Amino acid sequence: MATIGCKDFPDYLEPWMEGDRHPDALAHVRDCPRCRSLVEDLKLIQATAQEWGRTESEPPAHLWNSLRAQLVQEGLIHQQSIRRGWLTGWLPSLPRPALAGAYLAAVIAVAFGLSGPVNQRINRARWLEGTQNSTTPLRAQFASAEMNATPPSLPDSNPTVTASLHNNLAIVDNYIVLCEKSVNEEPENELARDYLFEAYQQKADLLAQLSERGGDGR
Amino acid sequence: MPEADAIRLAQQGDAAAFERLYQLHNRRVYSLCLRMVGNTAEAEDLTQEAFLQLFRKISTFRGESAFSTWLHRLSVNVVLMRLRKKSAAETSLEEVTEPDEESGGPRRDFGAPDLRLSGSIDRLNLQRAVEQLPPGYKSVFVLHDVQGYEHNEIAEIMGCSIGNSKSQLHKARMRLRELLHEALRDKAREERKAAGGNLGAED
Repeated sequence: MATIGCKDFPDYLEPWMEGDRHPDALAHVRDCPRCRSLVEDLKLIQATAQEWGRTESEPPAHLWNSLRAQLVQEGLIHQQSIRRGWLTGWLPSLPRPALAGAYLAAVIAVAFGLSGPVNQRINRARWLEGTQNSTTPLRAQFASAEMNATPPSLPDSNPTVTASLHNNLAIVDNYIVLCEKSVNEEPENELARDYLFEAYQQKADLLAQLSERGGDGR
Repeated sequence: MPEADAIRLAQQGDAAAFERLYQLHNRRVYSLCLRMVGNTAEAEDLTQEAFLQLFRKISTFRGESAFSTWLHRLSVNVVLMRLRKKSAAETSLEEVTEPDEESGGPRRDFGAPDLRLSGSIDRLNLQRAVEQLPPGYKSVFVLHDVQGYEHNEIAEIMGCSIGNSKSQLHKARMRLRELLHEALRDKAREERKAAGGNLGAED
């Protein structure tokens, strides 16, 4: 016969769930459907939580780009070790037609303006002119996308994240200024143009995120 | 690139090594953040913050503990810091502290015995209920029952006693049970209402 009642059972419940089952509590649970149901529910919650812990979610691909921009900005990684293929990680999902346009413009700029074999003897002024011709319309597109991405009238339920995105955007903008300076100083330097290209890509990623947040009011 | 090599190269500032470490651990860190905050945008922000802190401190990693343990503790701390800031800014004390905490001891009311959770809860229901927990309960529950941390680890991470961690976990599970019962009752009520509406329409 049970020696404790429902009123006392909660005192035994915490150790019970840790595996320490007092004989009095065991006897009570055997006889009391209400407390038995409580124990079963808690076990079910525990089991469902464990199942939840076995699944993992994939973070979005743009996260690494934005993290890398910050690492470069802080001087934590060597820029010369960043070198990657021209189109690596390019063409992410494009949430807005305006940004798709900016991406397309960037691809065209890269293909015709920023790219080219560096082993040819090419006039420095021609490189500079080519770079400027390619990046000027791109900058205009970004400026327009930036305006569209941050409509002031929409509500923002998570200002911390939006502020963080704006902060990242400011970092990338600074990085672009540095890259543009390098390209202007050494227009034939393929590496400098690679960095500039990647910086534009990062900016497009961030604008896409801001645009999405502005669009659904998150 | 094996993890040990990636750590050594990352300590020298090698970008590819940083990327490798990120690729090896991003899913687990992001999943932890997502479980604890329940919001993808914020989880992304926290994941970035956790990796930033990791890379800022990587030169101090001496390998006494497993790298993944080090990273995940760091990530938990990043999330807890954010939750603390949020609870201080957004939540009143009454919302953080459950009513029974003032009197001490768990609630004596177990909820209605007629509704059984068995067969009616899944991961999604539990996830919704966890989102409604006060920050302290949520952290201990996610760390212990979902992530599989031991009470002594949680006590160390959260700066509390082992007893406190156990007690918070117990209260979190009890509160979750209440929330899940409430959700079941709401669902049953809606179903009754819908059935009543259908009968009315047939008349």
